[in-house]
Amino acid sequence: MSEKPSTFFVIWVLVERDLRTLVKSPFILINRTIFFLIQLFVFAFLVSKLASALGFNYFDFYSVGAVVSTITSIAFIIGEDLFEEEELGLLDYLLSLPFGHSLFVIGRALGGAVRGLIYVTPMMILVAYVDGYFSPAGIAGSLAIIFVLATGISGLSITLAMLIRNANRFDIIIALAELATVRVSAAIYPLAYMPRVLQPVATYSPVTSASDLVRAIFLPGYTAGAYETIVLLLFVGIFFGLGSAFLFRNIEGGRFE
Amino acid sequence: MIEFKDVTKSFKGFEAVKDVTCEINDREIFGLLGPNGAGKTTLIMTMATVYRPTKGEVVVDGHSASLEPNRVKSLIGISFQDPKYDRILSAREILEWHGKVTGVEKSVRERRIDEILAKFGLTAEAKKRTWTLSGGTKKKIENAKVFVQRPRIAVFDEPTAYLDVPSRLMVWDMIEELRDDGSTVVLATNMMDEADRMSDRVGIMNRGEMVQVGEPARLRRSLSGRDIIEMKLDTVIPELTGEVSKVEEVKEARFEGDTLKIVLSNGRGLLPYLINVVSAKGGRVQSVNLKEPSLEDVFLYYTGMKLS
Repeated sequence: MSEKPSTFFVIWVLVERDLRTLVKSPFILINRTIFFLIQLFVFAFLVSKLASALGFNYFDFYSVGAVVSTITSIAFIIGEDLFEEEELGLLDYLLSLPFGHSLFVIGRALGGAVRGLIYVTPMMILVAYVDGYFSPAGIAGSLAIIFVLATGISGLSITLAMLIRNANRFDIIIALAELATVRVSAAIYPLAYMPRVLQPVATYSPVTSASDLVRAIFLPGYTAGAYETIVLLLFVGIFFGLGSAFLFRNIEGGRFE
Repeated sequence: MIEFKDVTKSFKGFEAVKDVTCEINDREIFGLLGPNGAGKTTLIMTMATVYRPTKGEVVVDGHSASLEPNRVKSLIGISFQDPKYDRILSAREILEWHGKVTGVEKSVRERRIDEILAKFGLTAEAKKRTWTLSGGTKKKIENAKVFVQRPRIAVFDEPTAYLDVPSRLMVWDMIEELRDDGSTVVLATNMMDEADRMSDRVGIMNRGEMVQVGEPARLRRSLSGRDIIEMKLDTVIPELTGEVSKVEEVKEARFEGDTLKIVLSNGRGLLPYLINVVSAKGGRVQSVNLKEPSLEDVFLYYTGMKLS
């Protein structure tokens, strides 16, 4: 007979499942890695040459933003996973396993974030290298920042998945959400060069905050601190909480029956 | 013991399970019979706490499935009708993860996985992604999850669907072994031979209701006197069913293919007379089989439906 697994063990095993499926999708990994490398060494390199006339090193700026954008995109996938699991009946299986619905919710949200973190860690190290930054503690700190961002984005994705009941509609909304989150932020271009109407929104974007915090670690001349940290933590607090609450409510309310 | 107390489960006004009350004893194989859509899977999912009963209560080993769902889930392992696992993963990874999440200790888990993969002849395919495997192999992996877990209550929903004969026999042996080791087994099936062979007791479901519960032999005996004559004819003569039904002791007559099946109440002695009736209508009898009621006949009797 079986023994009752501990809370942390259950969360870890749920996260492990996400990691196992990630490792088994090499084509997606390779595809996104190639895309990242082309964006960094072709797009950013060329635009950097154009922007050099303004006295602005776009390559360094973009390199950090590319990692933040990538983890944002990956963290959004968790909502699609939930739809797929519902469609394949996998949720029935997962919900029949010996742990509470709240642990399931936490495990899924964290799984989405850990999956993103593992995926972008080599990219972050590469970016640190090309930006000439070699402090392991700083790199670890930057990874912690994007992990926090990914947890919030996972929460946002789960929130949307729970609010929108139609998979096709969700695909459209999530694509728009991803586009807005990344594009209306200072991840891939500076706030000062954005249309004025978007600047206030981008200022409060968690993606902007995460990008600025990492840039402040990696790149000389960039500063970020309490304000960005508060925006990021507020975002995570709100959407991790909302995502968990909505998923929990949907499970308890019988949406997946 | 598993107790279903007046359990009803509705989906958007449709009652998939209606007022089911029954008990499943410890260490028995309980066959849950019924045609597709009878409510077997819904009843199982309600017991497993995946669905919440709309009315009534399920109590597993003294724990309410509604009030203590985690306690109940820790006692149960389910092999689903359609395999439910990440098909991008291999059989070994699926079993490894399932064993881990259900709390099976590592060394025990690894030993059981090796044994079960070998038993099912899956050792060579254990590292392949499961979406590349055949339907039968996928079903074996679904069953294997429960055999690795060895839960207190093992639930198998159509465990031998898609399986070849040797694999069916092996799964049956393994389920019996589970019961002998102390597990209670709930076996949902629409295969009468499977239920008859495996079950200590059966529950017959139809249109969401539990219409009869009992030992297969007792249920068959409940139809004693209801002999069945199967007459294979050289050609189907539709009007024969009406003609034969005129005999008072004939409860039912119907053609199954070219075989005229006649259900009698206490009338074995009528066989020569019935042969004469058939002959008089131009039917030529090729063979006659007089048999006792089977579990399928029991099912037919209580539900009025033929199983697929």
